[in-house]
Amino acid sequence: MDRNIVIPGQLLSEKKEMAGPGTYVKDGNIYSLLYGVANFKGRVSVVPFSGKYIPSRKDFIIVKVIDVTPSNWIMETGSPYDGLLHVSEFPKRVDSSEMRKFMDIGDSVVVRVKDVSKAMKVELSMREQGSKVLRQGRIIEVMPAKVPRVIGHGGSMVSILKKESNCDVFVGKNGRIWINGRDNDMDRLTTAIEMIESESHISGLTDKVGIFLRGGPEGTESSDEEQLVDEEVAGVSLEDDDVTEETSRKVDVLLENDPEGTD
Amino acid sequence: MSEAISRLKKDYLFNLALKGQREDGRGFDEVRDLIVETNVIDKAEGSAKVLLGDTQVLVGVKLQVGSPFADSADKGVIITSMELNPIASPNFEAGPPREKAIEMARVVDRGIRESGAIDLNKLCITEGVEVWIVFIDVHVLNDSGNLLDAASIGAIAALMTATVPGEREGRGDDVKLPICEMPVSLSFVDIGGELVIDATNNEESVSDLRLTIVTNQDGSICAMQKSGPGTLSEENFLRSVEKSREIGAQIRGEYLLNI
Amino acid sequence: MSDKPEKFIDENGLRLDGRRVDEIRPMTVEMGVLSRADGSCYLEWGNNKVLAAVYGPRELHPRRLQRPSEALVRYRYNMAAFSVEDRIRPGPSRRSTEISKVSGEAFEPVVMKQFYPGAVIDVFAEVLQADAGTRTAAINAATLALVDAGIPMKGLVASCAVGKVDGQLVLDLNKPEDNYGDADLPIAMTEDGEITLLQMDGNLTADEIAKGIEMARKGCEQIFAIQKEALLSKFGTTDEEELLKEAELQAEVATSEDETEDVEVVSEVVSEVALEDEDDELKDEVDEDLELQDEGEAFTDDEVEDTSDEAEDLFGEDVSEFEINEGTESEGDSSSEPEGAESDEDEGEKNE
Repeated sequence: MDRNIVIPGQLLSEKKEMAGPGTYVKDGNIYSLLYGVANFKGRVSVVPFSGKYIPSRKDFIIVKVIDVTPSNWIMETGSPYDGLLHVSEFPKRVDSSEMRKFMDIGDSVVVRVKDVSKAMKVELSMREQGSKVLRQGRIIEVMPAKVPRVIGHGGSMVSILKKESNCDVFVGKNGRIWINGRDNDMDRLTTAIEMIESESHISGLTDKVGIFLRGGPEGTESSDEEQLVDEEVAGVSLEDDDVTEETSRKVDVLLENDPEGTD
Repeated sequence: MSEAISRLKKDYLFNLALKGQREDGRGFDEVRDLIVETNVIDKAEGSAKVLLGDTQVLVGVKLQVGSPFADSADKGVIITSMELNPIASPNFEAGPPREKAIEMARVVDRGIRESGAIDLNKLCITEGVEVWIVFIDVHVLNDSGNLLDAASIGAIAALMTATVPGEREGRGDDVKLPICEMPVSLSFVDIGGELVIDATNNEESVSDLRLTIVTNQDGSICAMQKSGPGTLSEENFLRSVEKSREIGAQIRGEYLLNI
Repeated sequence: MSDKPEKFIDENGLRLDGRRVDEIRPMTVEMGVLSRADGSCYLEWGNNKVLAAVYGPRELHPRRLQRPSEALVRYRYNMAAFSVEDRIRPGPSRRSTEISKVSGEAFEPVVMKQFYPGAVIDVFAEVLQADAGTRTAAINAATLALVDAGIPMKGLVASCAVGKVDGQLVLDLNKPEDNYGDADLPIAMTEDGEITLLQMDGNLTADEIAKGIEMARKGCEQIFAIQKEALLSKFGTTDEEELLKEAELQAEVATSEDETEDVEVVSEVVSEVALEDEDDELKDEVDEDLELQDEGEAFTDDEVEDTSDEAEDLFGEDVSEFEINEGTESEGDSSSEPEGAESDEDEGEKNE
């Protein structure tokens, strides 16, 4: 078997060179660090069942402004570590004195983790496509370990959620999901997401959620996946209501110059 | 909380230990010079000052009449306290005892209590109503490491010189506090995998494990405590038990039996 | 009120509660019983009822308590006022303070504190009903709560006590044995037999201690088995196929987006930790024999190779919000330098 449930300290392999994430090596053997599912395909790794979100470079997350200092917005990230968004990481040029006009305490924002230092100083950036201040909609929280479910294989679940609820959906790696649409659509979507999180079976979950959102057991087959995909892409680029077109272009230019977008 | 450990200091001490050496030239099983002075405080019923290398601890014993505990109506009561006074180290702060001090006080207490050092039955005045309460107060004056052993030795030494103040309290004649055992506490700390006894404050600061073993005159063990986040192998542990018996007997013979 | 039994062990070698000398009391465990906690466990052991919960890693205040290179593991052992015959005063006592300290230390060797610098992992153990051996029961429950919380650990910790009654060593004292016995030797150990908690009071000879440790070890082995069963059966309701699907999903998301999953953060930090320790071989026994995985380069390269297929499928097949990440980074990343090196490089710039 390629995968199975493991617990911390469980021996996984005697080939230490195959040690992957979620494991440690002792006396030449690989052991699990986590309670989760071990994967023996290629490197031996363990994916945990649960755990706190810990910021990691390049993650897109949804954060909340908790303080504004002369040059930084301080963000609560849903992890043990607050994040810093330096004024220069805002997509527009912002004068220090005017920072609160753009983002004030309590605002929710989609940001990207620019870097995480050894001491877990978390630096955030909004100079990325997709970053924006969330002025409308709602934020739902799920366990970070359940984020993959909400996304689904190849994004299939998110696609269904969006299509069948007529809402915009953004899934942050930190388990915060932003949704935006009509109130009753958002209500149904919220229930659907709760369903995804609490369901013990994944089999047919995508279909089940689809059926639920369509408002009953009957309804259309969810066959036209490709079409969905196109809509998604369109959706993404059109959503940026808080980043003006001009800034988007600037960001694009920046991104071209530096494909990593790290500086 | 704790001072940041100097990496260099740690490397230095660990390297020494690898070579079988210690900073002050002692062997792993060597105790610093020990001086036990008794009856140093007239106002106390019993007292002892312990100098263990540069570590200085003063232990006072006071007795008062009080009520027994419900589950031991015919026995005296022991109450041990320890304070890490700011006078004794730049790392100590004023205020009520924190977990480190509470732990040490309880280990000192355990050694005295569990060894049966004090014959508590003889401290009963009127069963269920009045008994003698023995207060053992450890006053730390200078922390140069291994406060726990210094305090334990001080406690038993002070008890051995203590008088039950019957006249003062109107409860009969003054008599010697009935002592029937001489427990000796010995603490080991782990330095890079080696257990060394009677650690200095420098050694303690780089160690993540302390093991305290309290032995009786017959070589049996009456109290133990592992402290600190490190782990202990069974082999090291059992070897320490043997050493504590051996060295405990030496300390007892040299410093306690002649009090 | 001395209701001390005359004999603790009868002629058949059975104890007052019918156990043999080397038998532990029946233990039942229930995982994930508190919704607000990050991990939790309810454990009954004989007549002990304890509840353990883990919160964290989370932000630690006040700041002066923070440890710059690791998480603080904070353990609070607390007895409910009604947990014993005579009501006890609620709140911390000297006894509970000591137990909290040494119990927390029993976990420090297995918890990967270095993954969460500056944060705190709070472990709360509440004794709801006490019947001898509460500190060991609490440790057994707390281990499972930590595991349930997804805290990275080198292994489990189990705890039980050995005592002495009628001149014989007995495992896992019951109340009369605890009250009137001649010794109590609570021990906690890791699966490879390293002692992480050791206390003792009463009277034992050196031989008895050596034997006692062996008994405790056997007791802990039984407890490890119970703990493992509890962990594996938590997903008993889900069939294996389901589990595989969940794992696939996790793996897919984890690998398709380079450095997203928690584990990967873990690996990154670890590689740094490992590097740090190289010039400091003596640092401590843990790091000496413990090589943490992921020495940068090899790992990332392989990882990319290993996952490229899956990743491709993903991109080709479908697009989601997640594509935002991939659009801008995925290709650059697959060929870029290893994680460790990358973050080190950036470090200099940013910590102006």
